Amino acid sequence: MSRAAQGLRAWLMQRFTAIYLAVYFISVLFVYLRAGDWDYPAWRAWMGSPVMGVATVLFSVGLLLHVWVGVRDVLIDYIHVVWLRLLLMATTGLVLAASLLWVLRALGLAALAGGG
Amino acid sequence: MTKQKAAPRFLNLLAIRLPPGGVASIGHRISGVLMFLSIPLFAWLFALSLQSADGFDRAAAWLHTPPFRLLSLLLVWSLSHHLLAGLRHLLLDVDIGVDKARARASARLVNFGALALAALYAGSMLL
Repeated sequence: MSRAAQGLRAWLMQRFTAIYLAVYFISVLFVYLRAGDWDYPAWRAWMGSPVMGVATVLFSVGLLLHVWVGVRDVLIDYIHVVWLRLLLMATTGLVLAASLLWVLRALGLAALAGGG
Repeated sequence: MTKQKAAPRFLNLLAIRLPPGGVASIGHRISGVLMFLSIPLFAWLFALSLQSADGFDRAAAWLHTPPFRLLSLLLVWSLSHHLLAGLRHLLLDVDIGVDKARARASARLVNFGALALAALYAGSMLL
């Protein structure tokens, strides 16, 4: 893939993920606030349900991609020392991947507990 | 022959007056970086809240401590600004509101709208 196409891909990715993240966030916030008081069983049942599970996994992956493109742009603009830029990009990738896995694990466990 | 002066370096950030579009733009970046930095913390809290009834209570207790309230105010501003500025960006991409007057007006709407939402949130916390 040419460099120009890579840029276009990142540009498109940023917009597609932005739309999904915004729609998910606003609708989930709306449902969350409408339900009023939350206790643990209700919270786990909600997050453990198939619809919320799939939507939240998509949200987490979309967020990872969105943050990766955004932070990469910021680092390229402001950090001109190549080794430092690469170090920060690697750290960003590691932090995002670890956070994603931690959230996926929690969602998986909630889904299993909800089904039992 | 007159000696040529060196080009002036003007990097006093406080003396640079950004137009509304510039404020919306740098705010978009700053808010994005702030939210990125808070991801590990909230991934941990989210997992804790789902782990057990005890974990749920602990996560809720964390959210009610003063430092977390302050952080959440900062993040409500970040989210509001990022969402509004991102929406403005998407509209500009499809050629809506591109002329100078309307672009300036929408940038002001983003900048003040985010502050207003943050103020509203701060008010709701005090109630």
